Amino acid sequence: MPSFLKEFFKRNGVGMGSLMLGLVLFWTIGLIILPQLSMLDFSFRPNLPPPEIGGPKDVYTLENYKYLIFGPEGGSQDYNAVDLRVFFRTLVAAVCVTVFNLIFCYPIAYYLAQTKGNHIRIFALMLIIPYWINEILRAFALRIIFGETGVLNNLFVGLGIFDTPFDFIRNDIALYAGLGYAYILLMIFPIYNVIESLDRNQIEAARDMGASWPMIHRRVVIPYAKPGISSGCTMVFMLSAGALAAPQILGGPSSLWFTQLIYQQFNDNSDWPQGAAYAVVLLVTCILLVLAIMRLFKVNMGDIGK
Amino acid sequence: MSAGVGVDLENLWIRFGDFVAVRDANVKINGGDFFSFLGPSGCGKTTILRAVSGFLEPSEGNVLIGGNNMRGIGPNKRPTALIFQNLALFPLMKVWENITFSMEIKGASAKERRKRADELLDMIALPGQGDKLPSELSGGQRQRVAIARALCAEPDVLLLDEPLSALDLKLRQHMRTELREIQQRVGITFIYITHDQGEALTMSDNIAVMKAGVIDQIADGKTIYNDPATAFAASFVGENNVFRGKVKRIMGDEALISTNRSGDLVARISSANQGKMAEGDDAMMFIRPEAFALAPNGATGDHFITARVNHEEFEGNVFNIFMEGEGGKELKVSIPNLGQSFEDHTGQNITLEYETQNAVAVPAGELAAE
Amino acid sequence: MKSFSFLRLSVWFYLAIFFAYLLGPLVIMSVTAFNSPEFPRASPWECLTFEWFSALFQDERILNGIWNSILVGAGTVVLSVAMGLAGALMLTQIWPKLRATYYTIIIAPILIPGVVLGISTLVFWDRINRMLGLGVDSFLSNGLFLTIIGQSTFIASYCMLVLVARLQRYDIALTEAALDLGATHTQAFRKVLLPFMKPAIASAAVLAFLASFENYNTTTFTFGEYPTLTIELAQKVRYGITPAISALAFIIVVLTVFAALANEANIRRKELVAAARKDATVEELESGRMRLPNFFSSNWAAVGLVVLACLTVATVGTATVYSPQQCIADIREQKRLETEQRIQELRQRRAEEAARRAAEEAESGADSTGGQSKPAAGGNSSGFGGAFAPSALGGDSSTDDPDTGADAAPEQDSGSGFGGAFDPNALSGGGDDGN
Repeated sequence: MPSFLKEFFKRNGVGMGSLMLGLVLFWTIGLIILPQLSMLDFSFRPNLPPPEIGGPKDVYTLENYKYLIFGPEGGSQDYNAVDLRVFFRTLVAAVCVTVFNLIFCYPIAYYLAQTKGNHIRIFALMLIIPYWINEILRAFALRIIFGETGVLNNLFVGLGIFDTPFDFIRNDIALYAGLGYAYILLMIFPIYNVIESLDRNQIEAARDMGASWPMIHRRVVIPYAKPGISSGCTMVFMLSAGALAAPQILGGPSSLWFTQLIYQQFNDNSDWPQGAAYAVVLLVTCILLVLAIMRLFKVNMGDIGK
Repeated sequence: MSAGVGVDLENLWIRFGDFVAVRDANVKINGGDFFSFLGPSGCGKTTILRAVSGFLEPSEGNVLIGGNNMRGIGPNKRPTALIFQNLALFPLMKVWENITFSMEIKGASAKERRKRADELLDMIALPGQGDKLPSELSGGQRQRVAIARALCAEPDVLLLDEPLSALDLKLRQHMRTELREIQQRVGITFIYITHDQGEALTMSDNIAVMKAGVIDQIADGKTIYNDPATAFAASFVGENNVFRGKVKRIMGDEALISTNRSGDLVARISSANQGKMAEGDDAMMFIRPEAFALAPNGATGDHFITARVNHEEFEGNVFNIFMEGEGGKELKVSIPNLGQSFEDHTGQNITLEYETQNAVAVPAGELAAE
Repeated sequence: MKSFSFLRLSVWFYLAIFFAYLLGPLVIMSVTAFNSPEFPRASPWECLTFEWFSALFQDERILNGIWNSILVGAGTVVLSVAMGLAGALMLTQIWPKLRATYYTIIIAPILIPGVVLGISTLVFWDRINRMLGLGVDSFLSNGLFLTIIGQSTFIASYCMLVLVARLQRYDIALTEAALDLGATHTQAFRKVLLPFMKPAIASAAVLAFLASFENYNTTTFTFGEYPTLTIELAQKVRYGITPAISALAFIIVVLTVFAALANEANIRRKELVAAARKDATVEELESGRMRLPNFFSSNWAAVGLVVLACLTVATVGTATVYSPQQCIADIREQKRLETEQRIQELRQRRAEEAARRAAEEAESGADSTGGQSKPAAGGNSSGFGGAFAPSALGGDSSTDDPDTGADAAPEQDSGSGFGGAFDPNALSGGGDDGN
């Protein structure tokens, strides 16, 4: 037995140690690593009916990835314009949602972290409560508001701002509002946690030296809050790029989200390998983007989730 | 329990990777002794304690408790109880539950435990405080609860890891007496870890002085103070003035040392080093501040030192004179205040004398850091 | 001073906007649960009704979904808290060189899109199932099993984060002290570490249950024969929405607020008790007659809790005796009238148009060589139907005027936003029902 294992069992006892080790191995290998590898493997295989799986036709192929780029073989177009457009639109929109959330949430996070008092506890509760409501129901609430006869349209038409109801859903405004809404808390909390640990004296010292508020934020608060900001941005980006419920409920009929394509491949077309390939593309792209951003801002993986 | 169970460390080596925390320690602790390991932080004394209590397996050598080899026996099976540096009282248990935790483990009834807790609370002079939480007690009270908890397990050996370090000075001095009293009352072996020489000297029957994983000297307090075996022991325990030089001549149990700055001086060779020092060896000589007396100015000889006075201070019971010493370090002299007149010598040269038996010569070695 | 108060004002303004965005949709959704139209809407307000709640409780699929959600939630809580705790403990003692890699692995599921987790779970266990030669109805392809496994993959990461935060404040010397006093490793875990971790384990369990309850992205690939509440809701919302869903949302909102307030009140109470214990003397502690501060004093959460409870009781009480039939009938009658009026109006317009066309024809015939602009304008304006008719052709026929006046009145009425709510008929109807 290797010495670190021996040490481990000495520290935790054989019974507790094995239980702990077993659970951790099941989680990391059985639930995290192997399923991802399995999905990767699956995405390189043709879509076969169950009896033929493992048979002679079950060979590795790039077909599923080619499909995303070039479309069906012998198709009318050179590229799979529909799916590619959806893919890039999803990424760009997710970035927009992330930036919007950051701008919108930073002041609140700063305010909550640097203000003391009982009302902060109430604000915190008010922040958390919406997050405990079902994701579907939150999207549903926004649909009530943004619908053709929804509250907003009634308000605007009633006030005479619009002549006719504006179609928020077809114009994707409902979708972006919904995505932003869904992940507000995930942006606020990491930033809040970091700023809360910022010594108030630093801000006061900066003010004392005559720095303006924008200057204080640019030179003192934001550099300090960088791990929280990048953690929040990473989470919001990954979750909005991977969102499914909000696009299904709030998206217009013609504007698809990339996850919806994956869903269709699985549930409507029953083409699992194709769906797996799309999922791999989504996962890899998102990870690369996040790694790039993390390198750009010089933060570590260890800061995520703090 | 009355005779006490001894603890032996035999050729004990403890390594962490390439780092040697304890190097070939050989210690024999008698049953019923109050035994201290004294050394600066990082010298390996806590490591030895963890090896005795069973949290660490020695890399080589053995720990014997009552003559039984403890290799492979876990901390929960050893007849030892440890008092942690931060006490490690269970924060969510009441005081009485803390004290009788070892009984709860064995399945004793709540009534029995309550009774024993009350006895122990009386013993540590905290009657009626059993229902409080540890966080509701003061530092000294927590200290006593930790002792009661350890004693409740009826160990043969009680191990204490700098348990007084978190207390303020006054309480620390009070707890020294109290610990010593408790030890004498229960009569079991105490092994005490400290970096505070005052604690070690006041409480211990025997002391092991440790430096960087090596045990320099094992002896009772008086011996260590008056007759240190190494330069480290001499400089770590109590204040001392050091003189570096070479052995010029050996004269029985005395040596004439030609010091770098103060000429040839005579000193007693410490008992551990007699017969081990030879002419020409690098040597160090130690004289305590209180061992000097003022001599007629300009007197010369092998027990006179002349130097310039940097500054002086009056401390109440003593006058301190700080003089130019070796290597930028000041030579400190304390003259007892017996009501005599005392003139200011700042800037002048004065001459001091000492008795040969108060100067100790040891082979040159590492000194304790300030 | 002036700029300071301006800053304050803008901060409060910002906070108001922020919380309106955050809470507004929930409030509006809750309101729609009590409005009578078939399509969930807050305005125009028609009738106060509780029928959507009874519709909800009669919906078999919703009830079945709730039951499945509870099953999945229970399984997920147990599995993810156990894995999260083991993962957190491992993090504190793993070999330093492996630490960063290990942390990346156990934190990754939070960042992996939910659909990817769902797909990979489905694909992986399907393959295991096939490798073991089991059929399609085996345990490994059971929707309940797959959903619990899939959700636990990432929910365990959340639990781990919660538990690690508490574990970092744990002094390992406490476990060592327990071992030293003769406890076995299991005893030390159960009697010392577990009680210390209890609050964090409770939070992790609640978090895990909520995360499981609301999960859609992963579950949608794995649920099989066990559609959870979220899946059922999503299907309902996608194919037509009814206020019954608002009613469910309202119940969830109330329960959430209730739980949050209860939790907050409990925390406040503990703080007060701890403060009181600190000040208490030994005699007071011994006799157990320590004076505790009043539960409600300086505990706003407790006050809120009681107010909420009273409101709930009042609402349920009202719902049992209230019947909106009269009001709904009134509204229906009103709508019928409106519709009739519209039809009338339309007929009128058609008649007008016919008349105008006849007039135009006559005019064009008469002015064929006259001003060019006039016929062109007349031709263009025809696209706006009768809207410009009264003014443009004001003098055309005197019979038009009373019609347009009557036309305007009901339109204004429905535009007021409250529709029939303030209609005297509706009020008297409601009063009758109350008796």
